[in-house]
Amino acid sequence: MCGIAGVMFKHGDTGLGTGQALIDMLDGCQHRGPDSTGFALYEDAKPGELRLRFLVEEEKGASDGIGHNSGVEGAIADIRRTLEEHGAEVVDDEHVGNSYRAVVRFSGDVQKLTYDMEHAATLISIGESLDIRKDVGGAHDVDDVFHVRDVQGTHGLGHVRLATESEVKPEAAHPFWATGFTDIAIVHNGQITNYWKMRRRLERRGFEFHTDNDSELIAVYLADKLANEVPLEDALKTSIDDLDGTFSFLVSTKDEIGYAKDHLAAKPMIMYENDDMIAIASEEVSLNRLFPGRALDTREPPPGSYGTWSRLT
Amino acid sequence: MVQIDLGQVSVRDANEKIRKWGAEGEDVEVLNPDARHHIGVGLIHPVRVHIRGSAGYFCAGLADQARFEIENNVGWGLGDNMYAGTVTVRGNAGAIAGVAIRGAEIVVHGNVGSRAGQVMKAGTLCCVGNANFMAGYMMYGGRIIILGESGERVGEDMAAGDIYVGGAVRSLGSDAQLTDIDSAEVDDIRAFLDRHEISYKGGFQKIGNAGKRLRYATSEQQVRSIPFFTFSGTSNYWNPKVQEDVYVKAQIGRYRVRGYGGARTLPHLSDLAFKRDLSSAGTAGDPVAAVEMRTEIGGLNGAKALKLSMPVMIAPMSYGALSRSTKQAVGMASSMAGIAENTGEGGMSDAQRGAAEQLVFQCLGGRLGWNIHDMNRADGLEIYISQGAKPGFGGQLMAKKVTKELATIRGIPEGIDLRSPSRHPDILGADDLVIKVEEFREATGYRIPVSVKLGAGRVRDDIKIAYKDGFDFVELDGMQGSTGAGGAEVMEHVGVPTLAAITQAIEALEEVEGLGKMQLVLMGGIRDGIDAVKGLCLGADAVAMGTAVIIAGGCIACMQCHVGQCVTGIATQDPTHERRYNPVAEARNIHRYLEGVRWQMAALTQAMGYGSTTQLSRDDLVAVTRDAAEMTGLPYAPEYREREQALRSRMG
Repeated sequence: MCGIAGVMFKHGDTGLGTGQALIDMLDGCQHRGPDSTGFALYEDAKPGELRLRFLVEEEKGASDGIGHNSGVEGAIADIRRTLEEHGAEVVDDEHVGNSYRAVVRFSGDVQKLTYDMEHAATLISIGESLDIRKDVGGAHDVDDVFHVRDVQGTHGLGHVRLATESEVKPEAAHPFWATGFTDIAIVHNGQITNYWKMRRRLERRGFEFHTDNDSELIAVYLADKLANEVPLEDALKTSIDDLDGTFSFLVSTKDEIGYAKDHLAAKPMIMYENDDMIAIASEEVSLNRLFPGRALDTREPPPGSYGTWSRLT
Repeated sequence: MVQIDLGQVSVRDANEKIRKWGAEGEDVEVLNPDARHHIGVGLIHPVRVHIRGSAGYFCAGLADQARFEIENNVGWGLGDNMYAGTVTVRGNAGAIAGVAIRGAEIVVHGNVGSRAGQVMKAGTLCCVGNANFMAGYMMYGGRIIILGESGERVGEDMAAGDIYVGGAVRSLGSDAQLTDIDSAEVDDIRAFLDRHEISYKGGFQKIGNAGKRLRYATSEQQVRSIPFFTFSGTSNYWNPKVQEDVYVKAQIGRYRVRGYGGARTLPHLSDLAFKRDLSSAGTAGDPVAAVEMRTEIGGLNGAKALKLSMPVMIAPMSYGALSRSTKQAVGMASSMAGIAENTGEGGMSDAQRGAAEQLVFQCLGGRLGWNIHDMNRADGLEIYISQGAKPGFGGQLMAKKVTKELATIRGIPEGIDLRSPSRHPDILGADDLVIKVEEFREATGYRIPVSVKLGAGRVRDDIKIAYKDGFDFVELDGMQGSTGAGGAEVMEHVGVPTLAAITQAIEALEEVEGLGKMQLVLMGGIRDGIDAVKGLCLGADAVAMGTAVIIAGGCIACMQCHVGQCVTGIATQDPTHERRYNPVAEARNIHRYLEGVRWQMAALTQAMGYGSTTQLSRDDLVAVTRDAAEMTGLPYAPEYREREQALRSRMG
């Protein structure tokens, strides 16, 4: 019940920014999911720095009761304090839309920091390069708040979603990141039918899940493999047999972007590649948004296939 | 030749112009298509449409006679359901190219995606490059020519038709086999390739149906069926019905198939009672004159609404399950009563169209009898997702009923045990569904309401999806709905009862603020005007009746609808049996019954102190059983049971 998009500029800047490219592609397939839109944007990392983004909402403050301060400002103060307590020094921050973004200097155990911060607040993304911006509304609505178009970036993913829960909440929007791991994001179109079985398997090994959304499972599944130094391509290969259901998904790490498609090819995916970039989307109409008036030489990946691309810089 | 630039105008405006130019015999050139969906859908004139670039989903869909040329790629569903005409694609095609075609010639010079030619009936689909997974899936006829590789599982569950492969055959689908090819066939293929200027010198392998799954291996013995009250009404654990089932299954080694509705006792509308004392209902003058009952259904998005003289419709039942005469009688009765009839699966006959003043045309996964011309003369279009009696399953029509005439309308081989696909080729999620709905609207110029029929399953999610995907109304079918043929276990044990279904549907609409916008038509065991009024109280905008209508028209409820030898001439395609059915007389009977329903509804509404059926609400009801109270959230008030029984015996 969604549309997905991904883009990577192999050599860096082509004049077409990551943010703007994803906005155009998602606007092109907004009919597939009118309720919420999200972006996973990657920019060059600064050594020793981590980017974090938290969901902070007026009525709730920081979720799960991090402290006793009320309201958004109190919640932000609580997040800042918790970060400092864990040895993360905030060097830059801002409150925008439904979120609080912090850039910290940190040299400790990142997975521990991640879990600790998650227990304290609703963490949307964490990474040296990754920043996830997501909210209810269309691609342009989210851009209006989060200025996605200003992100030149290196690569990124995007997602539009049709929701069936009673209240459309930003935390249910994609992209998802892998709880406990940095710089991994996924967007997914389809349904994982062995979700609970796979989730229990991962939970028994100590992984945490923050939603009941099957797409989060894919992120954790892949992150687990990557943490064990399995190459992304191999992790995607095994995912096709380990995950049951219908899926076309995209995954990104600091330097790579990849896709996998189920054996039944029930969910669409189409890609366009040239020397400078790879663009992948649910529908060709999204790809054509990047190249109006052109007849593109596109490729539909076959069922049960997977692939990765790396930045060449 | 006229030009249209999709960089400047919307697809909707473009399609309107293309159809207008088509009628005037004018060829069209489409600039800047940029892979937009629905280009040229519903074009039914012999003109040429040249698309300068890529097209999106359903390009040339629901077209007849037109000739399309696309310079680059196309998305899913190329030439969907096309009749005559040609399509040439210079690039690649996405999944289900040539889906459900009934006669066109479609050529893709590049590769085709998965399930090419799914449920196609006639015509030729030619792929110059490689095909993908399950080409020819569930095809019923026609020809697929693949000059490159076949892809995996080619011909999966094909019922008929021929697949010719020039390159490697990767693997065969279930019930597909390699067969001999004769020189006349090869000559015919070469002529086709020449005509389309495709040079190919190599040979072919031919794939056809292996014939192992077209019929059930052992047919079920004819027994005088033990009626459902014996089944459900006794307290015996091993009752005669259970025993009968064991005997029959010992013979056939599979599930039993039968017709009619579920027999298990489930909480239903008779477990609800009216709060007010309605013992005076119908005694004050003419209630029908006093109560406003006219209802419009389907106008939400600007299409022409169905105009009903009362909030009642005929439930979808197919020509196929029912005889032509029966469909005609039901159609006539619907006109006399001023309500709407529904084709069900299997197409629209002229007799049916002529008889029913308002007719909803239903589209199922097999696209059996679905076509643009009947869409254009329908008053409503309905996408069937599932039905209450057997949610998640496709229709079943046993060989005895698949006569030559019926097979011709549906575009399938004669005399097979037809098991219709349980899902649509092009609807694998809400995201695909929205594009499908739009195709129907584009093809018919947004004139006709589009509804969805949902068998109650995941009601909350389904209703929200229906609302968000922009349907004009929903026909929601509970577990007590009947069917012409279904697996007995499924009918008894799978589904969500009607009471729970409508309750969940209303809650779901409230959650997405769609209540009062998207209309709900409730069906699944609505027996009379009392049930109908309760359905309206629970929040339905109208109800639909199927089984009750059939019984009014002479059905004896023997539960043998699937056999095809219906003694009353209703559930049969055998002319000897059908001759017993007098459509004019039965139409009158059905009409009298519907007028009785009208009177009941009016009398109850009036006795509740209302001037219109739209004033009915949940507050008018209580539940007399705990289960019904649980399902509906109504107050549990068993003390009303006697009053409900008295009402039913007086008015029912």
